[in-house]
Amino acid sequence: MLIFLTIFSPLAAALISTVMKKVKALELLAVLSAIIEFIAGLAIALKVSGGEVYKLGSYFAIDALSAVILFIVSIVGLSASVYSVGYLREEVKKGIIGFRRVRQYFILLNLFLMAMFFAVSTTNPILMWIAIEATTLSTAFLISFYNKPSSMEAAWKYLIINSVGLLLGFFGTLLYFTVIGGENSSSVISWPILLANASHLNPLVAKIAFIFVTVGYGTKVGFAPMHTWLPDAHSKAPAPISGLLSGVLLSVAFLAVLRFRSITNAAIGPEFTGNLLIAFGTFSMVIAAFIIFVQPNYKRLLAYSSIEHMGIAALGFGFGGLGIFAGLLHLIYHALSKSFLFFTAGNTFLKFSSTRIAEVRGALTKLPVTGILLMAGFLAITGVPPFGIFISEFYIFSAGVSQHLLPTIVALLAVVLIFAGFLQHFSGMVFGEAPASIPRGENGILTLLPPLFLLSLLVILSLFLPAPLVSLLNSAALIAK
Amino acid sequence: MGSTSQFLFILEALVFLPIVLIHLTKKNTNAVWLYLIQSAAVSSLLLISSFDKISFLLLVSLGSTILVKIFVAPWFFFRLIKRHHLKFSASTQLNTPITLFVIAAILYLNQTVLSGAFATFSSSDPNLLLISSAGIFISLFILINRRGVLSQMLGILSLENCIVTFAIFAGLEQNPGLQFGIIFDILIWIIIANVFASMIYNHFGSLDVTEMKKLTE
Repeated sequence: MLIFLTIFSPLAAALISTVMKKVKALELLAVLSAIIEFIAGLAIALKVSGGEVYKLGSYFAIDALSAVILFIVSIVGLSASVYSVGYLREEVKKGIIGFRRVRQYFILLNLFLMAMFFAVSTTNPILMWIAIEATTLSTAFLISFYNKPSSMEAAWKYLIINSVGLLLGFFGTLLYFTVIGGENSSSVISWPILLANASHLNPLVAKIAFIFVTVGYGTKVGFAPMHTWLPDAHSKAPAPISGLLSGVLLSVAFLAVLRFRSITNAAIGPEFTGNLLIAFGTFSMVIAAFIIFVQPNYKRLLAYSSIEHMGIAALGFGFGGLGIFAGLLHLIYHALSKSFLFFTAGNTFLKFSSTRIAEVRGALTKLPVTGILLMAGFLAITGVPPFGIFISEFYIFSAGVSQHLLPTIVALLAVVLIFAGFLQHFSGMVFGEAPASIPRGENGILTLLPPLFLLSLLVILSLFLPAPLVSLLNSAALIAK
Repeated sequence: MGSTSQFLFILEALVFLPIVLIHLTKKNTNAVWLYLIQSAAVSSLLLISSFDKISFLLLVSLGSTILVKIFVAPWFFFRLIKRHHLKFSASTQLNTPITLFVIAAILYLNQTVLSGAFATFSSSDPNLLLISSAGIFISLFILINRRGVLSQMLGILSLENCIVTFAIFAGLEQNPGLQFGIIFDILIWIIIANVFASMIYNHFGSLDVTEMKKLTE
């Protein structure tokens, strides 16, 4: 029933939105739907933290690993929905968009959320593929939302690269199915069945399949060198969507990689998959580090930071042991930090009307609360203690230092370079001399509450991990090993 | 049995050859016709593979595949060509001899790397699987080599056709419900990609992807 609620609620909201005539009704519907998803998502996560698998029919089930991602989707989904209300109100006020655009936005936002909940909940790899492809289709128009040539270009790039990636992922998925064969058994193929039969998988086929899956779904995760769509899409989409794309969608795609990794590990052991993830993770971090250092656009800066953090999580999963627990924890901390940073970036954009770092100066004077949030976000995302990312990175690098010294050193150097890059960019944005032409004052309470909520949650979870969450992460780490 | 194998091989050739020809053709209309031929061959393969398990849902799924790939997709593409006068489009990144050389290299690598893996699939002819996988890689090459938005769309759909062919030859067709889900997904993709193609033309005055230079680092 709860799974049904998480999927049906955004679907119903999207369908009802098509006939809505008032902005207020659209806003209310989106927020109400997000609250239902949030409550249902948390309730499922709580149930699963006890060790059980939450099931709905033969096609839907949520185990601990899915529940971790569901937890992320529920929290960030609610924050993004509330933030969307505040953000779009400001854009309507400025005359950037009208009612039709607002309605289009909320329909697509709800479809996007539905596709993510569906992808996380299904036990069938093909249904998961369809749902992840649906996230591409629902967000393409959100990326081209402002109907400018640059956003159109970004959306096209996003559509083509992700479609190719997902088709390769689909091919990899089919290779896994060879262990069971086609015939009628294909109707009931699920993650547990694939895992149970993994020992019969030909080792060469398992390796080739995992390469296709990692390249395919890794495109959606944002692994370098398949990452090229990500900075464009994340920087051109409206800020709430950027927050969702970066904080949530990447984790949903990562879930697919982790599912296939468990199956491959059961067939050929963890070495091959571990090395592949370490290679992608290290390369992603290095690429992101150099580009972050010279990046002139703060939304693109945050997008490259997502590539870096997906790289760190990949390192954790690749290192194994404690790294898997830390990798999952890192996905949670990254989702909270990055979405709240994208929301504060949205507030900054609303005030300064520019995404260029050089044109944003003195945010602290012009936007007192957002300025503090920007600074807190910088500290959180670069892994400064006591923020959680410091803890998860510390665990990940501890796991890597004994067995994989070279990638750990390279990753540490990349982290240092990224910190320096962020410091140079953010200090100017927050403390520089503000242009006199820009009036002082925040945009609106609804543009502040969601990032404040996410920051509070991040601080709480950084200082104290509740027992159910620890239990959930431990169970999830066992599944992802 | 022998004649069935030959027939399957001919159909597989009809899936594979259009991909190579899409690389070489100078006209967009020809590229769409080639995709149509490829889709007809894939639909025939699906029909043959489903002879022994006829059900209503399977027929609906097969019918929707034929509808989307043979009628809807080409209709959208011809409409796009007509609307934006895109009959000719010779723009490729590489010239014809180099294109052919790259295709030959892909075929060689495909044979070398994947033949060992496919030999382990007991129920299938490894040669047919190898041709399907070669088709996948050469379709990917369309996306890199051709500059037009239309060619990129055809490259992706051709890639999908090759994956379907691979699934048929490996005996991995999904149940009709899932097949229907996949084809519905592709239908939505075709519609969205066409809408984007028109919007790109309106913004850039061209469907050549190299003309899109509004995104800078």
